[in-house]
Amino acid sequence: MLGASQQHIQSTNQPCLEFSEGTLSLRGCKSEVLRSTYGKSAWEWDSRSQSWRAFAMSYSKMAEQLSTQPHSIQDLVPAWQRVNWNNVLLPELRAEQKQAVEAWSTTRSGVVIMPTGTGKTEVALRIMADQCCSTLVVAPIRDLMYQWHRRILAGLQYDCGIIGDNTFNVKPVSVTTYDSACIHMPALGNRFKLIIFDECHHLPGPIRSDAARMSAAPYRLGLTATLDDHDHRSDLIQKLLGPVVYRLGIEEVKGTTLADFDIYRIQVKLTEREQHRYDFLASQVSSYVYERRTEDTEFDWNQLCKDSSENPDARRTLKAFREKQSIEDRADAKLDVIEDLLRLHHGTPMIVFAGSNAMARDISLRFLIPCLLSQCGKAERLDYLDGLRDGVYPAIVANQILDEGVDIPAVKIAIVVGGMASTRQAKQRLGRILRKSGNERAILYEVVCADTNEIARSRKRRKNDAYSRTRNRKN
Amino acid sequence: MLTREHAIARIEDGIVVPDRLIRSKHAHYSVLAKSAVRVYEEGRGRTRRELHSAIHRVFANELDCPIRRIDSFCKLLDERGTFETDEKGLASKLRREVFRKASVHHPLVSHVDKLFGNAEFKVKDLIASSFSKSWMELQEGMFRDLIENHTLLEFQPFANPVELLSRYNIAQTQVALFDAVEVIVQMREDFKSIVRYAKLARLMHRIQRTSDGYRIALDGPASLLQNTSRYGVSMAKFLPGLLSCRGWSLSASIRKPKWGRLRLLLDAECGLNSSVVGPSEFDSSVEEKFYERWKNADTLGWSIERETEILSQGQSAFFPDFVFRHQDGRVAMMEIIGFWTPEYLEHKRKSLSLFPKDNLFFAIHQSIDSPSLQIDERPVLRYKTSISVETVLRTLQEAMK
Repeated sequence: MLGASQQHIQSTNQPCLEFSEGTLSLRGCKSEVLRSTYGKSAWEWDSRSQSWRAFAMSYSKMAEQLSTQPHSIQDLVPAWQRVNWNNVLLPELRAEQKQAVEAWSTTRSGVVIMPTGTGKTEVALRIMADQCCSTLVVAPIRDLMYQWHRRILAGLQYDCGIIGDNTFNVKPVSVTTYDSACIHMPALGNRFKLIIFDECHHLPGPIRSDAARMSAAPYRLGLTATLDDHDHRSDLIQKLLGPVVYRLGIEEVKGTTLADFDIYRIQVKLTEREQHRYDFLASQVSSYVYERRTEDTEFDWNQLCKDSSENPDARRTLKAFREKQSIEDRADAKLDVIEDLLRLHHGTPMIVFAGSNAMARDISLRFLIPCLLSQCGKAERLDYLDGLRDGVYPAIVANQILDEGVDIPAVKIAIVVGGMASTRQAKQRLGRILRKSGNERAILYEVVCADTNEIARSRKRRKNDAYSRTRNRKN
Repeated sequence: MLTREHAIARIEDGIVVPDRLIRSKHAHYSVLAKSAVRVYEEGRGRTRRELHSAIHRVFANELDCPIRRIDSFCKLLDERGTFETDEKGLASKLRREVFRKASVHHPLVSHVDKLFGNAEFKVKDLIASSFSKSWMELQEGMFRDLIENHTLLEFQPFANPVELLSRYNIAQTQVALFDAVEVIVQMREDFKSIVRYAKLARLMHRIQRTSDGYRIALDGPASLLQNTSRYGVSMAKFLPGLLSCRGWSLSASIRKPKWGRLRLLLDAECGLNSSVVGPSEFDSSVEEKFYERWKNADTLGWSIERETEILSQGQSAFFPDFVFRHQDGRVAMMEIIGFWTPEYLEHKRKSLSLFPKDNLFFAIHQSIDSPSLQIDERPVLRYKTSISVETVLRTLQEAMK
């Protein structure tokens, strides 16, 4: 009998171009015709489906070449539509924002680089308002996805669809996350004419970049605060979204659009008990590593992880290493420093960034200040952010979820407790407190443990240009 | 399924060997599995964190047991459980109330001085007593909605605790397939089921004949354009179905950063026991009885095989119910159409139009209106309750004319 999932194969004679699971499929087209239209290597023959195939992202190029040819190839790809905004309520753009919109509009495909706090979202909303077409906005995390939803509702009076966070509501204008975009693009890649990647430095990654590769959208916009030159990630982003069309450096806006800022680094000591335990764990780790290195000079972290499956000592070493990290992360003295800073800046709203969820909860429970965690619902999050702005709460604590782009009230003081070494994260965190409001200087405190790896991470962080004026404070 | 964070595999001469518990080496694990399952069976009302640390304790003294293996057991046991997830948002509500109540007492200090007089412990006691609770009790409720604080409501027990171990073995192999770029299955039996499981997993196939059966290569639409492990999860989903089939061997091409190309090899005798029920021998008793009769009859040099040929074109595959081979090398195929709905016949008609094979003929139930199938040009035999060997032999001769 027949296989259960027999497929119906279309057998029309006219050549046709279709969107097929994130790729373009061209049927009924002879290879000579194909070569004369597209050149040699644009298409691959797929014997499985008896059709020619290319990535969906090449659609605009393919469609352009198609239109110059006399051969009648039916183009069934676009499933997008015109969108009529009822009422556009966008603020007047600042000069640099206008330049960004104009620069993008000349190519309608490219990356806009602007520091955090200089209004990238407004640039994107203006572009959406101008283009009047089906648009998908891709944001790094759920919170930002919801924030885009709110901004589109406020600025364009459009209640857009949400794809992600256990919701699958596709509308001509929709918002999604990178993860959901990557999963669903094979099904949705021809539904949007404009695709916007917010914080587009998240795009590289062998599978993640499928979110751009499997989309047929001819109009593409990437937004980011940081894109290092001469970097393969940067090259990939430009290949997927188009060239950098506009760039605004952080130095150009300091003191004008953004607040001026100082950075203080505060070193804390572990308590005697913590230090004792820390040293014990450290010696456990180093003696194991030393021993293994004498046998194998290449011995590294990966090898340790591998060893742990067979070797109880390696497993103990791994556990010791994790506990060591946790002692650094959750050192008691950090709570004391936070208390001092809460006293010092009493009456000024403050944000505390913790290095882990556990530390965020420790801080929250110690000072009874709200803590923004990924499981906080929309209402709870708004309650805390509004409460911070209105002075109900002196401070809020967050882990990485506030790292980028989440609209938060203008705060002048941020405390970074622990955290990872990446310069990007540092820039994002810094950007958060730099929002322009009044002429007060912003302050960023960085609290690290003395004589531990955290110092090294902090040094790495400060290599970033924005950190160049760091002062040290001994606690 | 497990996630990449649970993966344990070693690499030997370019071959990925997923972690596997085997009777000869891990006999004592059946006792441990029993204790682990009991933790969940008796664990109603306990939080995920408590359950997980109890599982870790079960395996604590086990020398040969990586942390990831223990974490995997936790995950596989979690999958059999239903947890209270605080859908009403009580924890969130409580948190907000506590932070609101505390908001008039900031900053909460450890040492009171002239400026700041709100001692941490006093404020906390005050707030706790407004809920008629101790601070410790109150604090516990504030983060009930965290995954590790969810409590177990129900646990669906295994038929036998050892099933935890066989599930573990399959799950580790599945995780290893997450990095698969292509899977090739050499099939000697159960072609139809294997292809069906591949389709259910939404994989694309390329079928080739080999000396002892068929070789099917599985990947996804974009695989043609780029080496991608995007379809690795689908390949992992395909595995349990495949494991329930007979007569196959699998070779997966695995791509791991820093390692380059690796292979993962499996076959029907690899010892992984699927919980999926294997394909049944016959689709219907009509087929089964006909097959029996044929075996015991004089068939003029024709031997019979079940579903041993695949007709395929593009992504459509068709498995004629019976294949007849003559001593002189001639081959014919018979498809039985005994059940019908208008949609089914239409579907069948479309698929058959793809396979204009001369040596294919049909046994059609009397009640079916054959013109709607548009197979007039092919030999057809009609049957009512059973298919007779003689009629088939007659039609065979006709088909081979």
